[in-house]
Amino acid sequence: MQDFTPKGTAGALQEYDNKYVNVKKRSFAGLSMVLAAYKLFNYCHSYKEFKHKRPRKYH
Amino acid sequence: MIQRMLPSNGNSKFSVCVCRMNGLVKLALQAVRILHTGQPSLAPVPPLPEHGGKVRFGLIPEEFFQFLYPKTGVTGPYVLGTGLILYLLSKEIYVITPETFSAISTIGFLVYVVKKYGASVGEFADKLNEQKIAQLEEVKQASIKQIQDAIDMEKSQQALVQKRHYLFDVQRNNIAMALEVTYRERLHRVYREVKNRLDYHISVQNMMRQKEQEHMINWVEKRVVQSISAQQVHDVSKLLFRSHHLGNINQHKLLCKTKTGQVYF
Repeated sequence: MQDFTPKGTAGALQEYDNKYVNVKKRSFAGLSMVLAAYKLFNYCHSYKEFKHKRPRKYH
Repeated sequence: MIQRMLPSNGNSKFSVCVCRMNGLVKLALQAVRILHTGQPSLAPVPPLPEHGGKVRFGLIPEEFFQFLYPKTGVTGPYVLGTGLILYLLSKEIYVITPETFSAISTIGFLVYVVKKYGASVGEFADKLNEQKIAQLEEVKQASIKQIQDAIDMEKSQQALVQKRHYLFDVQRNNIAMALEVTYRERLHRVYREVKNRLDYHISVQNMMRQKEQEHMINWVEKRVVQSISAQQVHDVSKLLFRSHHLGNINQHKLLCKTKTGQVYF
């Protein structure tokens, strides 16, 4: 992943499309990878509040 | 990874450019030709690939496993995954909350549904796609057929032009026949007219001869009858009377009658 410019992002997105989404036999993986990435991103974003909900104190 | 995935065919390269329209970011494909006389390869568009990139567990693409294969073999990524999960759980970097359980049940349910009905839904979608494609194909075929028919008709008409001389032959023959018919008709008419004239002359001659004959006969008869004098009538009647006595009164009467039409003794 070399550039995070909008052009590069759009290019990467299109590559992802061509590889996993716009094929003749579509599978669930094309969508699920996007959802997993979104979930991970949200978890990372809200890690601070999860930190306080830990059931054990020492680990 | 990006370099590897860029498609390139022949002497044209696809370059992606982003254009903003009404605040939306749209992707536009532009075929950049190296030589302006080269052919742009936008149409025919290459067909879609059959299967997408392989993905394991629906989450991790196959490239990751291939990436780790030389160093760690087949079980490398699995061991890495297990270790990572255990580390995250034990260090509580991933916190188990009630949401975790809901997430687990949701994902389990989704997995079950996809595993069970995925294939049939895929087939159904494929069938729909196929119908659309068949429709378009039909239109294309109909158009091609139409154009082909037009071409054939043009060709046949061009061939007809080569056969025009037959038509001229037929016309020429017809005219010759008509001329012949008229000629014969007039010939016949001439013949009839001439025959008519000749017949007239012949009939006139015949009539004249007949009249002359009749006239001559009449004249001769008259003269002969005139020349029979009264004396001769008496002599003949006496002769007859003597030879047959009373039997030839009628003959006598006849003789007398012929002379003048009157009966007298």
